[in-house]
Amino acid sequence: MSDVLLRVRDLRVHFFTDEGIVKAVDGVDLDIERGKTLCLVGESGCGKSVACRSFLNIVQPPGRIVSGEMLFYGGADREPVDLAKLDAKGRQIRQIRGKEISMIFQEPMTSLSPMYTVGNQIMENILLHTGTSKEDAREKAIDLLGQVGIPKPDRLIDEYPFRLSGGMRQRAMIAMALSCHPNLLVADEPTTALDVTTQAQILDLMLELQHNYGMALLFITHDLGVVAEIADDVAVMYLGKIVERATARVIFNEPQHPYTRSLLRSIPKIAMKREELDPIKGMVPSPFRRPEGCTFHPRCPNVMDVCRHVVPSVTQLDDTHTVQCLLYEPEPVEQARS
Amino acid sequence: MWKYIARRFSTMLFTLFVISLISFAVIQLPPGDYVTSLIARMASQGAGNISQEFQAEMRSLYGLNEPVYMQYLKWMRNILVNGRFGYSFVYQRDAINLIVERLPMSFALAFSSLLFVWAVALPIGIYSAVHQYSTVDYLFSFIGFIGVAVPNFLLALIFLYVSYRVFGRAMVGLFSQDFADAPWSWARVVDLLKHLWIPVIIIGTGGTAGLIRTMRANLLDELNKPYVETARAKGLSENRLLLKYPVRHAMNPFVSTIGWTLPGVVSGEAIVSMVLNLPTAGPVLLGALQAQDMYVAAGFVLLLSTLTVIGTFISDLMLAWVDPRIRLQ
Repeated sequence: MSDVLLRVRDLRVHFFTDEGIVKAVDGVDLDIERGKTLCLVGESGCGKSVACRSFLNIVQPPGRIVSGEMLFYGGADREPVDLAKLDAKGRQIRQIRGKEISMIFQEPMTSLSPMYTVGNQIMENILLHTGTSKEDAREKAIDLLGQVGIPKPDRLIDEYPFRLSGGMRQRAMIAMALSCHPNLLVADEPTTALDVTTQAQILDLMLELQHNYGMALLFITHDLGVVAEIADDVAVMYLGKIVERATARVIFNEPQHPYTRSLLRSIPKIAMKREELDPIKGMVPSPFRRPEGCTFHPRCPNVMDVCRHVVPSVTQLDDTHTVQCLLYEPEPVEQARS
Repeated sequence: MWKYIARRFSTMLFTLFVISLISFAVIQLPPGDYVTSLIARMASQGAGNISQEFQAEMRSLYGLNEPVYMQYLKWMRNILVNGRFGYSFVYQRDAINLIVERLPMSFALAFSSLLFVWAVALPIGIYSAVHQYSTVDYLFSFIGFIGVAVPNFLLALIFLYVSYRVFGRAMVGLFSQDFADAPWSWARVVDLLKHLWIPVIIIGTGGTAGLIRTMRANLLDELNKPYVETARAKGLSENRLLLKYPVRHAMNPFVSTIGWTLPGVVSGEAIVSMVLNLPTAGPVLLGALQAQDMYVAAGFVLLLSTLTVIGTFISDLMLAWVDPRIRLQ
């Protein structure tokens, strides 16, 4: 029996722009289990970032959650709350943000305001969600900064973010996100903007803290190397849909969806000669002109006639492995007629 | 920080020096020297002759028989040591008296207009940015453009007309008759406030419209910054996060411009002041330039510019105070 923390069903987030509707998230099903790490991978523009913002209900206009449900089993009684139904500006969702579910972002340089000290911005979160005094919040912030490996935390707490390096800022962001012991930490490409050595340190830190805090981690990335290092489960996203979802071991050893396979083939390996690099052919289609049928068919190496006009549905390969591809559907042609 | 202040301060001193040169050049602009124009003017008014002793005294006081740089030095020394800006032949008194009388009124007007503009424009600008492309946003943009387009003097005339029709008397001047020449007292201040709001609104309208646009644009730039999203993800309420983060960032450009609102208001108020008969610097400066009363004109130019430069210096300090990025670099 799996212990689900966040159950997302048929989530759709659309952006209503002047040029048309962009279906950034178009029917996503996802289960995030308590204490586990789920990696959400995909190319730029596939909707990963929008999806994870919708879990906090902070998608900004012209974007809007159009339908679907996001059941969050966070409270002490584990009664589910449907995050999609909550008023995005209301008190209820604001008490979940930063406390039950917190988030760290890609750009540590700009995600902290240069106008306030690091301490001010961390304490803000603590003061907002707990009834502690300013002094206690400060103690707590110093303690957190120490936990995330910031040297001399009692001095750096009064420092302004622009005086810290990128890695230090991301550590401060992590400290801020952890300050209220969240059940779920959403990390949107937290290491992408950092150099490789710092990346490795931040990843190690996050795994260690995840273990200490016993929280679930939703890690968004396009870096499969990172996925291999940290993931329990992997969800592969393409144009607003989860095309394959399985445990990390299955994804890397027996990928089923042609897109997952292409992604894995496109990783350069150190021993490889340059011309052997095998990128996915074609480009991500324009968000305004999504292909009909299976959205991946123009780039798919295993494309069949039926893929051009039939939208694949979710096929359950086993308990933990689902794939959205017509190759695995028993009677795709039948569906096309009906 | 100290380096920043020192650099700003030395720039300020240099600017002041250049300003004094330009103001002095203003005196030199009309043909003939000052005493010659004074005699010509007296003669044309049939005021009789000016004694030779007075002429000689004037010439030596301003060094009119000496080279230009000596004239400049004497003029500056008179100002810095004696606080004398030269003699106004139109008003028959020392220019400094005029300036002391008029400039504080301009100051009061400038300061009140600034407060008015900020109090009106900033909230509207914030609202317009947050509700971009809403009906209210379009409405304020529309009103704003009208505010920019309608000349101030026209607004002043309309006000005069309306006040005459509604109150039965024209709301002109800054004081009632009883207080016009009275010494300063609490009652006089109250009387001033009763009159001040009309020119403040008239002068402020144009500035308000411009400021709404600027605030809206500044804030729109900030609203999509990642730190706003961070604050939202913390669970802060929209109003609180708006004021604490993006509005604070968007305010910086305004802090740095407080210092140089004065000259804009003085040149903007000149015509309004004439229409409304306000005892401010603008009309006197204009009159002095028309009558070639050059010591008065130069005195106003010099003092206004000096106050502006000092104001800018103070704004720089304030900017450093509110923005840690400047303070700590």
